[in-house]
Amino acid sequence: MATPDFGERYRARTAFVFLATTFGLLFSVVVALLAMDQHRVLEASQRLQQDTIPQIIRFQRLARNLEQIRQEGERVFSATTPEGRQQSLFLIMLVASHPSILEHPQSAEAARDAERFLIETGNLASGDRSQISQRHAEWQNISKRLSLLVDDLSVQGASLATDDLNEMVAVMQLARAKLIGALILVGGFLLLLILLLNRHLIRPLQRIDQTLSSLSVDQPAPEFPDARMAEIHAVEQATRRLHDSLAANEAARRELELLANRDGLTGLINRRHFMVIADAELQHTQGQGRPAVIALGDLDYFKRLNDTYGHAAGDTVLQAFALLLEESFRQSDLVCRYGGEEFAFLFPDSTVEQARALADRFRQRVADHDIRLPDGLLIRVTLCIGLADASKSTIESALHDADFALYEAKRLGRNRVIVAAETA
Amino acid sequence: MKCMRALWLVVCLFAGIVQASELRVAIGVQDPAQLAMGGNIIPPNMPGSELIAVNDDLAREICRRIHARCTVNFVPFSEVLPGVEDGRFDLGFGNLLRTPEREKRVAFSAPIWHSSSRLLGTPTTAEAFAAKLGQPVSIDNLRDARVAALEGSLQLAFLNTIANQRGLAVASKKTAQEVIEALRNNTADFGLLSVLSAYALLSRDTTRQIEFIGSAVADRGLGGTVHIALPLQNDPLRKAVDQAITAIRVDGTFQRITRRHYPLGLD
Repeated sequence: MATPDFGERYRARTAFVFLATTFGLLFSVVVALLAMDQHRVLEASQRLQQDTIPQIIRFQRLARNLEQIRQEGERVFSATTPEGRQQSLFLIMLVASHPSILEHPQSAEAARDAERFLIETGNLASGDRSQISQRHAEWQNISKRLSLLVDDLSVQGASLATDDLNEMVAVMQLARAKLIGALILVGGFLLLLILLLNRHLIRPLQRIDQTLSSLSVDQPAPEFPDARMAEIHAVEQATRRLHDSLAANEAARRELELLANRDGLTGLINRRHFMVIADAELQHTQGQGRPAVIALGDLDYFKRLNDTYGHAAGDTVLQAFALLLEESFRQSDLVCRYGGEEFAFLFPDSTVEQARALADRFRQRVADHDIRLPDGLLIRVTLCIGLADASKSTIESALHDADFALYEAKRLGRNRVIVAAETA
Repeated sequence: MKCMRALWLVVCLFAGIVQASELRVAIGVQDPAQLAMGGNIIPPNMPGSELIAVNDDLAREICRRIHARCTVNFVPFSEVLPGVEDGRFDLGFGNLLRTPEREKRVAFSAPIWHSSSRLLGTPTTAEAFAAKLGQPVSIDNLRDARVAALEGSLQLAFLNTIANQRGLAVASKKTAQEVIEALRNNTADFGLLSVLSAYALLSRDTTRQIEFIGSAVADRGLGGTVHIALPLQNDPLRKAVDQAITAIRVDGTFQRITRRHYPLGLD
């Protein structure tokens, strides 16, 4: 078995393993990139939850405490009794001592200043009530400073969350772009895969399918464009070899048929084949209501010729007689070697009279024909022909009648043509 | 025999469950008069009752959340940590700051609020010391003074560490109220207390003799996050208490409890 030439070609498995590996690697890279983004988002959300939100809460607590100092400061100025003022001062001292304020230097300083100012105010007011209104303008400044600090801290807290959220949004947008890129990559790769499959696998297979469907010895050998896939190329080569095998088989079959249907000595069709063809032709002719005639011919004194000149001479006579037959009858007439020196004829589309004339002319031609034997001697032979009308009878019946007429021709002295109807 | 053993196991297990659902709670008090009031309620007009009430409410809410029945005991502050350490109490409340030394003795819950420390004294004493020092009195420049603090407190521990260097005479008192009394009867020049404890006492002091001196301090172990003390070996209880603290913070119960007794948020 011939090995396909894989010189310029690729094995399909290798090619598709390469493509799948490439795709897998690319996809893995994209997935890894997306996983990194996801990790960043998780980190950012974890940071938001563990660091930023507690930090925001700290800022909120700080802002709330500073605002409480400011409000209690207002109460120090609006209190109508020393006890009310003192309660507010205690609260201010308490809130100003809160660790959330102490750990934030700016707030601690502002709270300390406010506390000191308000305690002084409280002490002064206990002696002179008018000190309250005199110090109010200064308190307004301190209060405004506290308010601004509260606002700053609130914004600062919110900004912390905004920073983290912005980072998360940026990562998510990047991840979305990567996802779109991954989808385009996958789509493009699939498109490329479909194109390659179509070009190097599906279309060649379709071509092979069409070729195999119409593969016949009557068609020329199939031609295929050069395939890049080794396996496809191998199948195409096999298809070509199949066509060659079919053609060789057909030639052998015809040779065998010839050997089976022909007589080896004369080249005429043999009796078995004649019976098949003649029967079919007769049925066809009868089906169309046309006339047909069956005849049997037999060389006169052929045994004596064999005995006198030898079998080789007999064979030569038979071959020469066969040549005369082929030259003398129409293309449509059917002639076979029926056995020994006996021959059968079918004359389709011929009436008995037309056939008699044809047979008689042939009889005469044989009688006038010199046959050269292998030793150079020239001899002449005659024959008898019995005819039977086969326009309405079966071939067996017609042959039987023709044989009867042939027997009659022999009996009447040989070298003559007799029609079966004349003997009936 | 096997049946008896299985029955005994079931009984032991059941006993364990019952034991686990019974919690003994210690709450540090501010006044010696409160020590006699075991088990129930401190009258709201007593000195420092706000802080005790917050701790009491918080303890009961935590017990409710962890499906435990609690027995509340009011004890001097100095008894809270030793009580939890030797297993007499399962939960200890007392404005307890977390330090590495204390962590060797007891376990601590998640933070419940923040606290700082501040000097207390009379204005007259403060002015006299300020004149002597040439600047307003603060924890940083305090020297050659008699200072009182709560027994077992971090404030007392701090004072003891600087006493020799600063020439301080440190006095240990069983309750915060005793510290205030020492200032009032001039057996101490200054007191160093947690601000929350001091506020609870000063806000009810109608004499107005005592006031905060200098700025509050939250460093050097004098401030930070306040926790509940638990036995070292009872990690499941600590986790359950932490979950309860988180839950009562999230649903606003914690804020409602503190606001009920204090005019500000303690967290």
